[in-house]
Amino acid sequence: MLDKRCYHCGDSCGNQSVHFDDKDFCCHGCKTVYEIFSTNGLSHFYELEAKAGFTPNTVKHKYDFLDNAEIVSQLTEFDEEGIQVINLNIPNIHCSSCIWLLENLNKLHPAISVSQVNFPAKTVRVTFRTSGFSLKALALLLASIGYEPYLALDDYSKDIKKTDRSLLYKLGVAGFAFGNVMLLSFPEYFESGEFWLEQYKVVFRWVMFAFSLPVVFYAAQDYFKSAIRGLRSKILNIDVPIALGILVLFLRSTVDIVLDLGSGFFDSLTGLVFFLLLGKFFQQKTYAFLSFERDYKSYFPIAVTRIAEENTEENIQIHNVNRGDRLLIRNQEILPVDCTLLKGDAKIDYSFVTGESRPVVKQVGEKLFAGGKQLSGVLEVEVLKSVSQSYLTQLWGNSIFSKDKTTAFQTLTDSIGRRFTLIVLTIAISASMYWLVFDAAKALNVFTAVLIIACPCAIALAAPFTLGNMLRIFGKCGFYLKNTNVIERLAKINMAIFDKTGTITTMDEDVVHYEGLELTKAEKNMLATTLRASSHPLSRSLYSILKSNDIVTLDEFHEYEGKGLEAKSAKHTIKVGSASYVGHEPLGQTLNTAVYISSDEEIKGKFVFKNRYREGVAHLFKELQKRMELGILSGDTDGERIRLQKILPVHAKIAFGQKPQDKLFFIKELQKTHEVLMVGDGLNDAGALAQSDVGIAVSENINVFSPACDAILDAKALVRLPLFVELSQKSIKIIKLSFLLSLCYNLVGLYFAVTGQLQPVIAAILMPLSSISVVAFTTLATNLFGRNLNNKV
Amino acid sequence: MEIEQFRYDNKIVQKFLYATMLWGVVGMLVGLLLAFMFLFPNITDGISWLSFGRLRPLHTNAVIFAFVGNAIFAGVYYSLQRLLKTRMFSDALSSINFWGWQLIIVAAALTLPLGYTTSKEYAELEWPIDLAIAVVWVVFGWNMIGTILKRRQRHLYVAVWFYLATFVTVAVLHIFNSLELPVGALKSYSVYAGVQDALVQWWYGHNAVAFFLTTPFLGLMYYFVPKAANRPVYSYRLSIVHFWSLIFIYIWAGPHHLLYSALPDWAQNLGVVFSVMLIAPSWGGMINGLLTLRGVWDKVRSDATLKFMVVAITGYGMATFEGPMLSLKNVHAIAHFSDWIIAHEHVGALARNGFLTFGMIYLLVPKMFKTTLYSKGLANFHFWIGTLGIVLYALPMYVAGFTQALMWKEFNPDGSLVYGNFLETVSQIIPMYWMRAIGGSLYILGMLIMVYNVVVTIRKGSSVEDELAEAAPHTRVTKRRLDGENFHNW
Amino acid sequence: MSVIYVLLTISISVAVVFFMAFIRSVRAGQYDDAYTPSVRMLFEDELVPPGKENTKVKTEGENQNKDTNQ
Repeated sequence: MLDKRCYHCGDSCGNQSVHFDDKDFCCHGCKTVYEIFSTNGLSHFYELEAKAGFTPNTVKHKYDFLDNAEIVSQLTEFDEEGIQVINLNIPNIHCSSCIWLLENLNKLHPAISVSQVNFPAKTVRVTFRTSGFSLKALALLLASIGYEPYLALDDYSKDIKKTDRSLLYKLGVAGFAFGNVMLLSFPEYFESGEFWLEQYKVVFRWVMFAFSLPVVFYAAQDYFKSAIRGLRSKILNIDVPIALGILVLFLRSTVDIVLDLGSGFFDSLTGLVFFLLLGKFFQQKTYAFLSFERDYKSYFPIAVTRIAEENTEENIQIHNVNRGDRLLIRNQEILPVDCTLLKGDAKIDYSFVTGESRPVVKQVGEKLFAGGKQLSGVLEVEVLKSVSQSYLTQLWGNSIFSKDKTTAFQTLTDSIGRRFTLIVLTIAISASMYWLVFDAAKALNVFTAVLIIACPCAIALAAPFTLGNMLRIFGKCGFYLKNTNVIERLAKINMAIFDKTGTITTMDEDVVHYEGLELTKAEKNMLATTLRASSHPLSRSLYSILKSNDIVTLDEFHEYEGKGLEAKSAKHTIKVGSASYVGHEPLGQTLNTAVYISSDEEIKGKFVFKNRYREGVAHLFKELQKRMELGILSGDTDGERIRLQKILPVHAKIAFGQKPQDKLFFIKELQKTHEVLMVGDGLNDAGALAQSDVGIAVSENINVFSPACDAILDAKALVRLPLFVELSQKSIKIIKLSFLLSLCYNLVGLYFAVTGQLQPVIAAILMPLSSISVVAFTTLATNLFGRNLNNKV
Repeated sequence: MEIEQFRYDNKIVQKFLYATMLWGVVGMLVGLLLAFMFLFPNITDGISWLSFGRLRPLHTNAVIFAFVGNAIFAGVYYSLQRLLKTRMFSDALSSINFWGWQLIIVAAALTLPLGYTTSKEYAELEWPIDLAIAVVWVVFGWNMIGTILKRRQRHLYVAVWFYLATFVTVAVLHIFNSLELPVGALKSYSVYAGVQDALVQWWYGHNAVAFFLTTPFLGLMYYFVPKAANRPVYSYRLSIVHFWSLIFIYIWAGPHHLLYSALPDWAQNLGVVFSVMLIAPSWGGMINGLLTLRGVWDKVRSDATLKFMVVAITGYGMATFEGPMLSLKNVHAIAHFSDWIIAHEHVGALARNGFLTFGMIYLLVPKMFKTTLYSKGLANFHFWIGTLGIVLYALPMYVAGFTQALMWKEFNPDGSLVYGNFLETVSQIIPMYWMRAIGGSLYILGMLIMVYNVVVTIRKGSSVEDELAEAAPHTRVTKRRLDGENFHNW
Repeated sequence: MSVIYVLLTISISVAVVFFMAFIRSVRAGQYDDAYTPSVRMLFEDELVPPGKENTKVKTEGENQNKDTNQ
């Protein structure tokens, strides 16, 4: 009987086959998954990928560390009475079918009871029984349906990052109070002296007072705190006049109603706080699925396999790895430490570190660096340094990583706020001095009125709305910023430094050219067929170039991990692989990767792979040099220097062979004279990204992690960088213009205030009017520029 | 933490749907009769219980509380169970809700023609029926809150919030407006007097529109429109903002019904300002509903359900723009007591409430009877004839309203009225009344077609009265997790 | 016009009730994810009661086992 293959996972069905819907399955689990897919119109899953449910061998051991109870307890959110709850990060979530499938996990395994997806954050929270099931089994189950969970310890660290909902509460309090206070304050504006209104106004006023209490003492507290902090460190930030305005509004209004002088400014007060908080809320756009704080821990495995004395294996957490330990590194695992190779064929992919995806072959006895990914077979290594002391990871010891760029930077609003405060105080004092002389009774009234009307609400709103809106526009174009502060910093940049590999070169597309004897048609067909059978990245990329329609039937096919391929067909043999495997003596040291070919043991030639620059890089540099100086900072050898010099301006700084630490110092040196933008991609750029004024991480797939940075830029949008810089500068102009706009309102208000004629109704009209016009102006202006952005490229 | 199996109660939804269709036809037929009484004033002469003054409240009550009321219950009972992944809290309460409500409708249908009325608009029913309404309404709320408490889904979808708001506010409004002193079995006096009574009445009256005809339908829109289009609402975040901003200011718009009355000016103006402010959240909701359909307009072309919903949402948008405009004093000066008000009201009732209800019926009946709709062609025909009916109803009424307003304000040089006899304006707008009656007839015809379509569909389907579903129980969030607040915990 | 006091009290009480509901729902994390619920409500969860199909599958599976055992 023919060996049946499971329709879902592609495994042999053996003698347990389950027949369903004219298809064979190896187990009821696979059948159930298929059933769920097919009954819900998800069977296209199988068209996309045959053997879709296949669990790659490489994954099988990937989650072995989840056998370690200590690790599991650190990962789980809840673990009691045989029930565990875990929040898993799943980068692959991308559509509503994903949500549907992941929320129906209970149909795949009876031990799972609830699973809930948070789509914006790309997480799924699973509750399951531990009897007959485990976290490891869950991870494998998810991996088998194409949703490999991403586990990194720092995401689960117990020094909880609290979800800060206080702004939402404050906004709710202010909005609620504002609505009700408007209701109570308006009657006195519409009609004064009416019989019934005279009866009620005392009640109305005191109810307004009651509503304003939580606004002043709860919703507005951040402004007071910030003002006090500013004053303590002798900085007059924008919150000083705001806090002063709120305080004066409240005290003056209270005095007014106590002494029956008027209805007070409670509507202006609550409205002011509400609008200010709205601005803050709008500014707080976060990309829940991105993290701007990743360090090496996110890339590294949580645990590794240590080979103990008696050759027994145990899973230990990586911070428990010590010098001298012997570790087992499996295929597709990442080296967590610097080490010496003891056993096995090392073929290391350093793309996490350098952005270079082509693997490097290492021999026994050679030194391996942390951050590389093993691509073929199992390795045994001896640890040279602990995790935090390794070549790459010691970078994070630098103090720059604990610095917050936002606090050191003085925003436009704050620098204006300082001058503004001084002017307002001068006006208030001189006006009240004047009235002290001419009509002393009015002096206090004028003093408070000036502070009320000059409260820079509109100024404080200009930046949040402009920048917040710009942040969203950028986000739609694939440029994700950590916060709005980055835009202001970006506008000031006058020097841009680029990493080479992975940043301005692509990772997946290669330029390949062939050197050697010409291949016959039959040889080409055979080569293509051979490559087709291999899953090695180089084979794949070569196959995609050579694609052949005539598929030859291979009689024999062997893949030697770390060496190459061998295939036989109709008495012909073909060998594809490294120089030593094919039997070629490499002529001199080539800088580029090459694949050698031999046919019937006769060496034919080699395919040479070269980096390809991203499309439009030349254009990018041309556009950028209009605005700033440029430079290249590469960890590679200088093989590409001449090509780069062609597309860069003459005086551009180009440095090769830069270690991660060097990059950091290079940027630091430049910062003495420049505001520096660093564009990088790998972990080796992390130091430079942190040190620079703005660090942008370029990413081909934003679901894959980028190192800590200020912004993540989709590689496809890299050529738009000059436009983003231009827009940032325009944003600053918009903010300045809206300052002017709000100043006009302030002047009108100040006229009423200084002359002692400020009525609550005037404040109640001017304040929202100025705020709304500033918000409308900034929104329109940013959208207008944003539309240009979409039209240009 | 075992997965639990349970059954959704479809029977109660079906019952409410039948009642919706029955009372819808009855209420609109009464309306049609009234429309014809404008053309033939004497057709019911001599029959006191068929006189205009008695039938008019019967029509409004039947359409608002019987047709729309039952549609709300049907929609809520269907969607609430599914949104919360549980059966209704108590089948007994569901039953009391259903039969109690039908009993109230029957009582209204008897007492109103017989002349028993409190004479408060939309609250005409006498005190024993008022009491019954309060009891049944509280039963509905009790059942709903009970269901929410035993839910299996932590997150409360925005529609549920709209339902909750409907229950709470309508309860409060009904109870406080209906405070009255009984003097006999079917006679009572309001506890408020004069302009105070008017203020309370319109604080209730406007909010009856707001919280009985609007908020529940917004909830239904947020459930059934995405369901029918099979795509998520355009912006869920906006829908949350929509709900909370509506809740915080809707309740204050009442006094605009008392413009140019004895109410103090400041109170009138307050009503105006808050009515105008309402445009923002109302249109936010409308735009959210319409944008949900972006990308499926080709589906709208063929699917009657979606077409009904599009017109319903558009009708909502028109009515909520027109309302604030009407509350402006100078606009109101034209519209006051004219047929413009009738047009405004019917755009809301026929398009927003009626069409959303029809869309819901066309969606739910095949679903609950496990079959397909008997005839899509008839449903589409219903849509077009219904739309034509609305247009033929509303446009002539606008014209009539303006005609009336202009004629009433025409003065001779000596200051006397040009059209001193009220009948002169009436005879002027007779053609509009004809068109209105035709429009209304078309609308009812469409409804009868729907009833036929639904009956045949039900015949060919098989009723699933208790639908099986499964979900894991909702676990209370532990204190530890709440304190931490590090993970989303619904 | 003293009814204003009544209306004001009722309206503010209702508003306060809703306001508390708002605070409570924010605190319970109801609005932490303002997207997924809108997709989740689209999923139909009605179960087709276990019918013949499943049993058929089972017997066939058993037959298969016998076949392969032979």
